[in-house]
Amino acid sequence: MAILKQPLPLKNKMTDLFKLTLKESKEGLKSKKFTAVELVQSCLDRINSVDKKLNSFVTITGENALKEAENSDISLPLGGIPIAIKDNYLTVGLRTTASSKVLDQYIAQYNATAVEKLKKAGAIIIGKTNMDAWAHGSSTETSDYGPSLNPWNTGHLPGGSSGGSAAAIAADETIISVGSETAGSIRQPSSWCGVVGFKPTYGRVSRYGIIAMKSSTDSPGPICKTVDDAAVLLEIMSGNDVHDATSINEKPWIRPEMKKNLNGIKIGLPSCYFPKEIQSEVKAAVLMAVETLKKLGAEVIELTDVLDPKYSIAVYTILQRSEVSSNLARFDGVRYGHDRSYFGQEAKRRIMLGTYSLSAGYYDAYYLKAQKVRTLICQDFDNQFQKVDAIIGPVSPTTALKLGAAEGQSMFGEIQDMLVEPSSIAGLPGISIPCGFDKIGLPIGLQIITPQRREDLVYQIAKLFEDNTEYHLQRPKL
Amino acid sequence: MSDNLITDDVFQHTAKLSRLEIKPDELYIKDQLAQAAEYVEVLKELNTDNVVPTYQVNNKSNVLRDDLIQDSLPQNLALSQAENISNGYFKTAATIKK
Repeated sequence: MAILKQPLPLKNKMTDLFKLTLKESKEGLKSKKFTAVELVQSCLDRINSVDKKLNSFVTITGENALKEAENSDISLPLGGIPIAIKDNYLTVGLRTTASSKVLDQYIAQYNATAVEKLKKAGAIIIGKTNMDAWAHGSSTETSDYGPSLNPWNTGHLPGGSSGGSAAAIAADETIISVGSETAGSIRQPSSWCGVVGFKPTYGRVSRYGIIAMKSSTDSPGPICKTVDDAAVLLEIMSGNDVHDATSINEKPWIRPEMKKNLNGIKIGLPSCYFPKEIQSEVKAAVLMAVETLKKLGAEVIELTDVLDPKYSIAVYTILQRSEVSSNLARFDGVRYGHDRSYFGQEAKRRIMLGTYSLSAGYYDAYYLKAQKVRTLICQDFDNQFQKVDAIIGPVSPTTALKLGAAEGQSMFGEIQDMLVEPSSIAGLPGISIPCGFDKIGLPIGLQIITPQRREDLVYQIAKLFEDNTEYHLQRPKL
Repeated sequence: MSDNLITDDVFQHTAKLSRLEIKPDELYIKDQLAQAAEYVEVLKELNTDNVVPTYQVNNKSNVLRDDLIQDSLPQNLALSQAENISNGYFKTAATIKK
């Protein structure tokens, strides 16, 4: 693979504003090449022209976004920048459904902390994005508002649960977006849609006001067009929050000073992250990425004793269902939303298994056992990080699967997310960045994982890789 | 672990605890429950005899705050999303029979 060093050209054709990255948008607004209203209008026009095909959005703000744009302060970090927000972030005055009919008409009474921070930074919400209902899934097929489709090939899924956000970024329907990850829900759709998804350390970004799924691993984070765009959003979204007792006591994260190369950095490549079912093109693309990282100065070491991800699938299945059964107990239709008869089949299935594993007689065998194995998974990462600074691998064993692939499969998401579940269970930060395409043109994602609170290293490796490759410059033809 | 004995009784009891009504065409969930329960049997392969469970991954515990009086959600806003309200209260189904 040729390593390219090619600066992004500033595209300033007014009709193409929706194609801009955050960085380019800010430059254009600052130099008065266009206005915030024009930028928002361009994205809304783009949504109008492609979203019937893609269904990335559940709600579009339209006029309100334009009004906000008129009064935007472009000196703010995200002043005048259109943002798409996953529909599980509470937004005052704007419907929040979590893609479930239970909350079909729910208007939040307060903003999520992350939303508050993004709005304070000047971002303009242009819509709420589709997701698997309650974030239960890896395809968006469990959304009560119909699945989103992959912009690279509309016969294929965008992944999930943040599939709407990833599709919206890939299709240039917005400049920036946010999603949330519990075990793959940022990284897997980012991988399948060929965009950048940055999952922070658990507790780095407040969970307050984000509809709870699996509280012990839920991690909100950005999905963007470039590593730098995602990092800027993470800077804004991160920081301690008194409303979230699990948020870490640190100042907001800031990007480190960039190094010129990866000299002295040891990167681990777990052999078990290449299971026998892996698509050959995914394996080839990741191994090519290894060569790029080596050229950049990294030492890549094969890790042969990493705990098999099959255990993480089982741990995640038990813990996720258990926490879901508890978190969804509050939806009784009394204070907000419709009653429990509105739950879709996937939610019912998960609530039932969670209730079963937490009930008397089964707690020790399931829930407690899973929490103990979780300790082993955390210890395994600790041991691996004695040998290496970071771990890389494919995000997903396959590229985007066809529409309908998830139907009737009770553990579709768990199997799809097997390579991102271990790091989620351990609360580690990670990123998905584009690293290739399969033979029918579907994107492939590379994941980079580090110890907790080492987003600086995730960023360094991802940014250097991106600066020296051209995959992130590709866009689907729509 | 158990032998995946998800009998009809266990299934119905679980539905009751979950406050869910399972319709006749959703009974297939019982088989899927059994499949998932079977899959997680893989954890038996790992010895966890002397392992402490991990409930929380960033080592925070007993996070307390000062007991300060703060503004709370105004009543009209708190009630704004409820389908049934009465005299400034949420209206619920009766839980005690006369």
